[in-house]
Amino acid sequence: MDDDKEKQTVIEAEIPMGTVHPAALEPYRVRLFVEDEIVRDAEITVGVNHRGVERIMEGLPVEKANSLTEKICGICSNSHIWNSCLVAEKALDIEVPERAQYIRIIMEEMERLHSHFLYLAHGNEVLGHETFAMRLFYIRETVMDLLGMIGGNRVQYGAPILGGVRPRCELDDKRIQKLKDGMDLMEERLAAFADRFVSDPMVMSRITDVGVISQKDALRLACTGPTLRATGVESDLRTEMKEYDPFEFDVITQDGGDVKAQLLTRVFENLESIKIIRQAIRDLPDGPITNRSWEMKDTPLTKSYIEVPRGTLYHSYALEDGRVRHCVIRTPSMANIGAMQHACIGHHITDAQLSIVQCDPCFTCTDRAIQIIKI
Amino acid sequence: MNITYSLIGVIGTLVVAFIVSLLLPGIERKFIHARIQQRVGPPITSPGVMAPLKFFFKQTIDPNSPMPKLYNALPLISLIVVLILLVILIPEMYFLGAFASVIAIIGFLKVEEIMYMFMGSLSKSVLSVRMPFPDMAKGAKHPETPRTFVEELSALRAFRLIAFGSFPIYIALFVSVAVTGSIYLSDIVAYQQQNGPILFTVAGILGAVVFFIGYMILLNEYPFAILKTKADVIEGPYLEYAAKYRSYVYLTRGFLMFVLASLFATLFLGIAPNILNPSFIITLVVALLFPMLMAVMSAFSPIFTYKQFYPTVAAVSILGVLAIVAAFL
Repeated sequence: MDDDKEKQTVIEAEIPMGTVHPAALEPYRVRLFVEDEIVRDAEITVGVNHRGVERIMEGLPVEKANSLTEKICGICSNSHIWNSCLVAEKALDIEVPERAQYIRIIMEEMERLHSHFLYLAHGNEVLGHETFAMRLFYIRETVMDLLGMIGGNRVQYGAPILGGVRPRCELDDKRIQKLKDGMDLMEERLAAFADRFVSDPMVMSRITDVGVISQKDALRLACTGPTLRATGVESDLRTEMKEYDPFEFDVITQDGGDVKAQLLTRVFENLESIKIIRQAIRDLPDGPITNRSWEMKDTPLTKSYIEVPRGTLYHSYALEDGRVRHCVIRTPSMANIGAMQHACIGHHITDAQLSIVQCDPCFTCTDRAIQIIKI
Repeated sequence: MNITYSLIGVIGTLVVAFIVSLLLPGIERKFIHARIQQRVGPPITSPGVMAPLKFFFKQTIDPNSPMPKLYNALPLISLIVVLILLVILIPEMYFLGAFASVIAIIGFLKVEEIMYMFMGSLSKSVLSVRMPFPDMAKGAKHPETPRTFVEELSALRAFRLIAFGSFPIYIALFVSVAVTGSIYLSDIVAYQQQNGPILFTVAGILGAVVFFIGYMILLNEYPFAILKTKADVIEGPYLEYAAKYRSYVYLTRGFLMFVLASLFATLFLGIAPNILNPSFIITLVVALLFPMLMAVMSAFSPIFTYKQFYPTVAAVSILGVLAIVAAFL
């Protein structure tokens, strides 16, 4: 019966794209099965940039291993090192000072801002709208400069350390003022961009009802993060994280699950991130930013889930003689691959890359962290 | 004396056209795209002059094509076709009779369009190479499916462009024919010298709009760049051109920009390209204005898929038909 169904599906040709393709920022492979330029089936293969970060982490001292996790991804480097620190802090019962928690939240939300801006810019580039892409990169520069100011580096800022944040990331009055000004500037520019974006009929025509992922499919395919929220599911791990308890923010959801919904989810999430950063700056408590009074001990396997720009990030490892054992990392893009394949089906081949990009893939960090299991 | 005068006119016009066409891509990218996008942009000579020059001295890589010599010859043939197009627009060549007519121009433009189809179907780049695993392994999705190349896809699109996409420019060419009642360029120019430019009539205005959209489609410029879309077919028919052959591609595009603008000046303003005529300056202004307008439009629009492309072409074609009707009224 199944064979008969498969035979009924007319697939005229296969168009393999990648592993190197100009529209893809990263190396991955897409096989598009088409019928008169309409995608009937799709297959995404990752794993060409495997570096086995988890394997390298095995046996390293936990501080070194934490630093290494930052190198998994150039976009969400802070998320990885933060979650890795959270694993050890949970396992070793390390209490993080309140001020350090606030600085960590500021860094994480700024990372969400720059990640979403990058996503929006890349989405517009794939749409062929270079002017919007350039405009978004221009707005993103503010947050990149602020990250550079706090962390000393625009990309790998390495703010969290075990028990707090690096002394380099302390926020004095001058930095706080710059943060406030930066948030005002970005909010103004983002609002202006959003107005222009949604009122452009040509752009709306390209992104409405394209790459649709229904709510049912999103749940079936185990999507996560903004990709899931854009289908109308109110799911944000930040609402369950104690680090976010002091902050008020809305979980952004959109109806439709198409490219438009995905893009707008990120636009509104950026506005929420600005709101959270403002609250953190306003209520920033006094006190130390590092707790150094903790002792190393052997711990069982400890897990930590956090909400990062692309969804739920999972880190887990055990500690033995101060060294990392049985490390497993699962990036959110891994969960969204099924949705990317699904979103291409039924749409024109020119929209295939857009349908993949709408899920905000980060295949390179997925590849680096993926665990190869011998069968 | 007359022959010498004519030769100076033809050769001088070609030389000036060539120099201006080298600068047009730079003007488009530096002064329009870069300014709109609030960035510095490349040096003005970079896209049109330095890039072709650089490619001339690069190592030629043989394309993966069933007929590599023909594939490599196609850009040069394109360049020659565009050169002929300009030559027949020059008043000194109007003695060629039917060769200096709108029908001949349409024929040469069709040859130019067909080249994209040949280019696409003769190219098989490494970008679409199949991998033994997981594409053909047991358990792979649809392992028996025949593979196609992104360039073949662009060849298919070139066919659609010939069949449908280039309607606007051909309809716009016939606006002048409808107004003047002649297919000969000499008559069209003479009519406008006596009665004023067609552009300043209702039919002319509508025709100019249609011509401009057709100009963008023929040049494969955003948002009508279905032949070379970065999101799927990338460079499309040009994908495998390397070294001097890629240089010819760049030169042809720049030259086509100038030639189409000259064609507009001839058909809608009655000013044929001739360096010995002071009104040649208007041809140059049109040649500059068209890429600038095109750059503004492309900077503010996303790339079209068929969903947007077909209705746009249909609407513009209807506008062109209305222009022809207005010409008869």
